[in-house]
Amino acid sequence: MTTLDELMRLPGAMAAFEFRGSGELLEQRIAYPDRINESTLDLLAHMCSANMSIATMQARGWEKVTAMTGFYPIKEFTLIGFDWSVVVSGLNREQYKQAGKFSLPPFVGVVLANEKADYEAAFAILEKQEQVQ
Amino acid sequence: MSVVTDLLAKPGVVAAGEYAYRGDRFSYRGALTEEHARMASIMCRATTMGVSMEGSMLEAFQSRSGLQPPRGWMVHGPDYTVCVIANVFCLLENTKGSVNDIVGFMCQALANVPADLI
Repeated sequence: MTTLDELMRLPGAMAAFEFRGSGELLEQRIAYPDRINESTLDLLAHMCSANMSIATMQARGWEKVTAMTGFYPIKEFTLIGFDWSVVVSGLNREQYKQAGKFSLPPFVGVVLANEKADYEAAFAILEKQEQVQ
Repeated sequence: MSVVTDLLAKPGVVAAGEYAYRGDRFSYRGALTEEHARMASIMCRATTMGVSMEGSMLEAFQSRSGLQPPRGWMVHGPDYTVCVIANVFCLLENTKGSVNDIVGFMCQALANVPADLI
């Protein structure tokens, strides 16, 4: 089962998606096309890409300034909306970077209905280690 | 008790605080220096403003988006998670606390805070 399919099995999953570091949507699964469509997911992917970059910059800076560690690299960024949340991760990319690879896997995200959202379960799926190819 | 005091009593919470949306003041409790808490509140406020703008843009793409208005955001690192709902922030140590519990508590405790960022 792919990560996207696994994410869609989470309680309250509305959509799951993959996107480039630059934000372009690559692949998606949508449970309710009348509530969330591909163009919305594309904008969401761009937003999440930007937020991951900002959060990474802040974590890097915070660790330098405070001498606290444990913030970098960012594992997930989560936007909590009124009814839905979106959780995105690029953690698998870190393995590829450490292995000296220039071609990195995509970011992965899931949109969840807040009333059923299990953030920790989403994190667990997004943090599964893949074999570096 | 205030939300910040309640948060600090929860397992794994290292520090918690709140900031004014207009950026002129903040308060906090927990294991941070005043200067680091000030920096944290500025970063949290900036990100909250950013996601608020993004939520409005999403709404323009597709009305009735469940992400609008945003209630908060969370950054999950290897050892610590920063949770922000409305104008309250919380620094959680991952192995000692539960993200689900903290987000659930904050969303419930801050459910009636207006979303107009004033």
